[in-house]
Amino acid sequence: MRINRAYLLIAPAFLYMAFFIAYPLVEAVYLAFFEDGGLTWSNIDYLLHSPFSEFKNALKYTFTITAIVIPVETLLALTVAILLYNRFRGRDLLLYLVIVPLTISDVAAGLIWYSILTSNGFMNNLLISLGVIDEPIQIFGSIYTWRMILAISLAEIWRSMAIVFVILFAGIQMIGRDLIEAAEVFGASWFDKMFKIILPMIKPSLQSALLIRTLFAFQIFGVVWILAGRNIPVLAGEAYYELTELKHYGVAALYALIIAGISLTLGAIYIRMLRAKHLEVYA
Amino acid sequence: MRRRKGLSTSQMVGVVIVLIIIIAAAALMMRGGEEATTTSPQPAETATKTEEKTPTKTEATETATETKEKVKIIFASTQLVPVEEQAFVKNQLLPPFTEETGIEVEFVGISYEDLSTRLESEMKSGKVTIDLIGDLHGGLDYFASKGWLMDLSQFGQLPDRSFPAILEDYSKLYGIKAYVPWMTATYVFVVNKEAFNYLPPGLTMDDVVKGTDKWTYDALLEWAKSIEQATGKKALGFPVGPKGLFHRFLHGYLYPSFTGTQVKNFDSSDAVKMWQYLSELWNYVNPASTTWDAMADPLLRGDVLIAWDHTARIKSAITTEPDKFVVVPAPAGPKGRGYILVIAGLAIPKGAPHPDAAWKLIEYLTRPETQVLVLKNVGFFPSVNEASGAITEGPLKILVNGVSNQLNAPDSLVALIPSLGAKGGEFSQTYRTAFKMIVLEGNKPEAVLPQLADELNKLFQETGAKLPPPDSK
Repeated sequence: MRINRAYLLIAPAFLYMAFFIAYPLVEAVYLAFFEDGGLTWSNIDYLLHSPFSEFKNALKYTFTITAIVIPVETLLALTVAILLYNRFRGRDLLLYLVIVPLTISDVAAGLIWYSILTSNGFMNNLLISLGVIDEPIQIFGSIYTWRMILAISLAEIWRSMAIVFVILFAGIQMIGRDLIEAAEVFGASWFDKMFKIILPMIKPSLQSALLIRTLFAFQIFGVVWILAGRNIPVLAGEAYYELTELKHYGVAALYALIIAGISLTLGAIYIRMLRAKHLEVYA
Repeated sequence: MRRRKGLSTSQMVGVVIVLIIIIAAAALMMRGGEEATTTSPQPAETATKTEEKTPTKTEATETATETKEKVKIIFASTQLVPVEEQAFVKNQLLPPFTEETGIEVEFVGISYEDLSTRLESEMKSGKVTIDLIGDLHGGLDYFASKGWLMDLSQFGQLPDRSFPAILEDYSKLYGIKAYVPWMTATYVFVVNKEAFNYLPPGLTMDDVVKGTDKWTYDALLEWAKSIEQATGKKALGFPVGPKGLFHRFLHGYLYPSFTGTQVKNFDSSDAVKMWQYLSELWNYVNPASTTWDAMADPLLRGDVLIAWDHTARIKSAITTEPDKFVVVPAPAGPKGRGYILVIAGLAIPKGAPHPDAAWKLIEYLTRPETQVLVLKNVGFFPSVNEASGAITEGPLKILVNGVSNQLNAPDSLVALIPSLGAKGGEFSQTYRTAFKMIVLEGNKPEAVLPQLADELNKLFQETGAKLPPPDSK
């Protein structure tokens, strides 16, 4: 009886996963590797050898952007979360300001940063009117690869730092003040408090934050699409372009599978690496 | 206890994040869906909502009022399909016709693939339901080649209107009058009047505006150089962004102007010269071009002074600041003044249930007043000469003048977009890839072009599509 009820309880979740994850996944594998009923490698061949394919660049830039964005925003979010741990006047307002970007879609964030950074944008106008520069700084255009990566990273950090912050802040709130006070009584330095109490105790939050953000980082698309178009190809953007513009359904499916593969691998690594050892302390 | 509480908070945050991402993705997809194909202008560009008076009756339809009967015809069109355009068709374009003739029209917005499949099955089964087809030249050419279209010459001449010779010419296919030209669209250069202060010696504003033989690609290069020397500005702009239509400039403007064809001479020595020219010209093109999808905003922001784009995509620049810009024809190259003309036509399928009612609708849709209504609301250009006279002043006049100057240039070399169906994207990508490898990455054209020429030829072989004019002329 008990077992039956358990199955019944997980049935909705199971059905949801089957319909929205398993079924599309199977379809994607079919699209990517089968053609006219037979196995085919033509999509992989296209991905690696066709002059139209931007796969290698997409892979390179997706990893580059992730490698810049994730550490910087995690560090920033951690710093802000620790700063806001103590109560002070204006803390709520600050909290609110930090979280605002969370409500903005990636496309909107991209558009905001585009209007700031474009050659006739706010930044250039401000710098010119202050007399810092004479000529506007060009950021967008295929010859400015690194400037565009910088602009994308900036927009992405601004937008998604809030997510990391919210998760870390929730974790940090859970640390009892008695622990910190006790540590202070025993003469713990700032360094000790940080590395012996705070960081170990927010490890689970850090883990979820990193997991969520890294997985989403590999799906980065809107911000890049708005700021750099296809000058900075990324995996999700290529999937979209192959599908909508070139009608290469198999290749688009392959991209989706590659993103899924990377996400799964990284997810597994994170969970393994960041397994919290100090949970028993306050369990 | 505490821990459990903490976890549920972060889970909730997780749920919120997922929701936000889903909403963002949906917004993005909607944004992507709106993108204008080359043939249907962006719905966002249908800026001016004008409450136009219903076109006046003409003699041809007075007979219709006598035979007022309940007839319902089906008008299947691959054009005016985006939601805003369909709303215009159903609420503004067709009601006056129904009022006047009593003929009800069911407008069916349909993709080319679906129309083709539906027509084929109707022809095979002998049960034709479509009375009127609205489609691009390429599609109608295919239908005519299959013998599915009625010879419209049996209906005689349409009163009080004339079509440009080039349109009349193209609408006669396989020995019949296959369609009546309905709407046109093209791509033009827009010049900020400030740029005329820096004209190079030997080139006048009149040359540029009228498209004389002095208005050449070499002159464009000299002009861009002269602007850079005077202002330090890279004044040219092209929509090279991923949703931009720059490939149309490559295959429909540069290639015909320099090689006389779009496809046939893809890797010829003339083509090599063309790519060398473009590489040099690119020194004077605003580098942000590779991120722009449409040129109206860069023109309005003053990022560029001279830009090329689809008429629908620059219309808003001209309607916003009509005093600042002029629309001019494309420059000419060694082989002529190549430009793309998108022609949409109206055809009646063989065996259509109500051919006479369909002809009345054709008559209504090609009246100059109706055509102006279409131009004002959805940005497609008229196919009848009398329509441009119906527009007296204002921003649209600037556009119409530019387009008609291009259409009437004596060295015109009209290019039509090939009908490759789903392979159309790859056709465009071939030119874009050549551009990227040669102009942006600095590879030698001789090394890049032969490989891509193979890809290009494969497309035509696989689809069995005809080479488009000017190649096939």
